Amino acid sequence: MKIQIPKKFQSVNKVKLSEKELINFEKIIYNLYQSGKIKFPIHLSSGNEKILIKIFSYIKKNDWVFSSWRNHYHALLHGLDPKKLKHQILNGKSMYISSKKNKFSSSSIAGGSLPIALGVAKSIKLKKQKNKVWVFVGDMTSEMGIFNEVYKYARYNNLPIEFVVEDNGLSVNTNTKKAWGFKKKEYFKDIIYYKYKLKYPHHGIGKWVSF
Amino acid sequence: MTYLRNIQNAMTDISKNKSVLFLGQSVKVPGNLLYKSLINVKNSQKIELPIIEETQMGMALGLSLNGFIPVSCYPRFDFFLLALNQFVNHLDKFEDISSGEFKPFVLTRVLVGSKKTIDAGPQHTQDYSIALKFMLKNTKIIKLKNKNQIIKSYKNALKEKKSTLFIEYSDKY
Repeated sequence: MKIQIPKKFQSVNKVKLSEKELINFEKIIYNLYQSGKIKFPIHLSSGNEKILIKIFSYIKKNDWVFSSWRNHYHALLHGLDPKKLKHQILNGKSMYISSKKNKFSSSSIAGGSLPIALGVAKSIKLKKQKNKVWVFVGDMTSEMGIFNEVYKYARYNNLPIEFVVEDNGLSVNTNTKKAWGFKKKEYFKDIIYYKYKLKYPHHGIGKWVSF
Repeated sequence: MTYLRNIQNAMTDISKNKSVLFLGQSVKVPGNLLYKSLINVKNSQKIELPIIEETQMGMALGLSLNGFIPVSCYPRFDFFLLALNQFVNHLDKFEDISSGEFKPFVLTRVLVGSKKTIDAGPQHTQDYSIALKFMLKNTKIIKLKNKNQIIKSYKNALKEKKSTLFIEYSDKY
């Protein structure tokens, strides 16, 4: 399985950013890091531009999006101003990109965003609001107990939340399948899943930088 | 007025704010002292949860991001330890990490288990509030040792809108 997109999802939003614009943004951050101007950890995205543009076409502007430490693409695609995003990155917030206006939040702890996203979904249901919550996790996070708890509670209680599993096969440099000891994985049919190859290292740029 | 009665009145007082929601185990059904403490609060302001301590704390944070004032309740400090990732790494640091974009406001109630009538032993009776104080940057801790401070302390926390951890003592209930 390389991509699983449940049939229920329909494009509701025309994504304005192109693959090239996403790649170029990360190149700018790469260069800033290489020149020693970012003295904080960065986790660059790559290799998933096309599929993310498709997924964000399902996400409405008013929806909440929760991400992890690798969040630049998610933030851009959910409408964060690239200048403001760059400002947050330069100020050491790459792992925690946030925007109240854009209903965007992220956490640098594996699985950290999941229960927070669940709480927002619960609040949406209680307030009878029309929007929903999207939460992006990696393949290793999708194996954690907290993912299991949050997914179960969300579905048993019919909460407005969607889960997207982004599988680069690794958690830092640990192979998810080998570490867990499984060969094949099936996700619940209502989860969006895709496999991709990250072209950057887990963090940084793969080169020694003198600060 | 007894310690329990002060807690009950404090809960009734804060529940007058319609955005306040109590969540945890035994908030709606009998099972521990939390139930007794919330007996005068409307059921519509209570969310009975399964045993999901960490998820409960994260849910409280999420509820607050969309306008609720959650009161996350734990019947024993020993159980609350399971929620510390969301409490210490997230709720306490959320304003800092989000560059001030989000200012979650969550009240947390933790009971220290009783030793007097039945001593429930080392996994049910601990008070880790001193250790926790060293882990927190932004969250206040109030130890409710005196029954006369209870109503005022909860009222002030609601007024100040600052996330606060309240430690209650089962032996005083």
